[in-house]
Amino acid sequence: MENDELVQNMLLELRRGVLSIAVLSQLSKEEYGYSLLKALSDKGLEIDQSTLYPLLRRLESQGLLQSDWRIVDEARPRRYYVISPQGRTVLNKLKQEWSAMAETMNQMLS
Amino acid sequence: MNLIDKYIAEVGKHLPRKSRADIEAEIRSTLEDMLEERKQNAADDAAVTLLLKEYGSPRKVAESYVGPRYLIGPRMYPFFEMVTRIVLIVLFAVTLAGLGISLSKSSLVGVEFLKTVSESALGLLGGLITAFGNIVLVFAILERVLPKADFEKEMDDWDPKELASEPDPDRVGLGEQIFELIFLVLFLVVFNLYPGILGVGFFSDGEWTFIAPVLTKAFFSYLPWINILFLLQIGLNLYLLRKGYQNTVSRVANILLELADIVLAVVMLRGPALVAMTPEQFAGTPLADAADFFAKGANLLPLLVLGVVIIASSIEVAQGVNRLLKSRTSSPYPVIK
Repeated sequence: MENDELVQNMLLELRRGVLSIAVLSQLSKEEYGYSLLKALSDKGLEIDQSTLYPLLRRLESQGLLQSDWRIVDEARPRRYYVISPQGRTVLNKLKQEWSAMAETMNQMLS
Repeated sequence: MNLIDKYIAEVGKHLPRKSRADIEAEIRSTLEDMLEERKQNAADDAAVTLLLKEYGSPRKVAESYVGPRYLIGPRMYPFFEMVTRIVLIVLFAVTLAGLGISLSKSSLVGVEFLKTVSESALGLLGGLITAFGNIVLVFAILERVLPKADFEKEMDDWDPKELASEPDPDRVGLGEQIFELIFLVLFLVVFNLYPGILGVGFFSDGEWTFIAPVLTKAFFSYLPWINILFLLQIGLNLYLLRKGYQNTVSRVANILLELADIVLAVVMLRGPALVAMTPEQFAGTPLADAADFFAKGANLLPLLVLGVVIIASSIEVAQGVNRLLKSRTSSPYPVIK
């Protein structure tokens, strides 16, 4: 039981570290919060609303995302997010780092 | 107002005013998206209850947006802890010393004795809480007033070479010890052998006028105790000069001596006057016009000095106890069995 809890906590930290890259990578086209949540979930990354929305706001305040409220297809108003030019540059850099890190970790764990 | 409205209003209570409306709108939009996906509507209370339970408590949701908020944050907390510890220990020591002195001088017994002790304990508790509250208040203000950027810059600009100029807390300052020794010896010689030479000389109208403060009998009744404490202090100074470093023995000895200084100072403070000067003594000096003022000032001077001694010694005790508790074994590594 104690080990399960430790593993869960460590997994949480591990996921927290990659969430920013995952979110940036999925916003090359506009998404609103809930549609992004579903998109991430469909690709195997389950993320809580209470984690995603604050993260989106943080990335936006850092200039990596842009957002605006809009009504599309006569639905209710939704806030749409998309990666900014600065976010694209940062994402490219992060992708390179991620590849190097993943390779290193694979070597260590194999 | 349906359940979703109430939920959002509740979340909003914990959000900063600036971004409240925007966050509330986004939460509402998400909740309605979730209901739509489940083919349910906001009028279905059971479905909404389940959804809100899943979304999380209003406070938890709001916290995820605003992050942790501090009254006293991580940058100020170490200083807050240090100041609190010193102030509370000093307050405790001074109150305890005061109580000890007043009890030793009184003839209270039985219920009266217990009543005095319990009243002092309650007074002490009140004093500790008030002091703690004031420290918290000051640090909470500092937390909000001091610019964060300076602190972050200081952290980034930190240079390990600065450590070289940090004093070693265990090392004994040669100059400080010698200065203290000279002062102690001079005091002992003057007060024991030549008490008459203390005073101030004035050169007026071609001749010298000398005013010697009249030390009372009460002062000389304390002199043997002062001598004992000063001789013990001289012994400690010599020991430290020889060793060059503080150790547990010297720290404990210093704390005991400082405590004894506090007790003696409190006794002297509460006892009869130590100096008795009259305005007439100033006649024929440039201070004659304000003789009353200077006579009163001279009589109050010992009280001021004793007050400073009590405060300084209390701080020394607090620092000494703190260092004693922090002192580690000579090896920086744990003992390997």
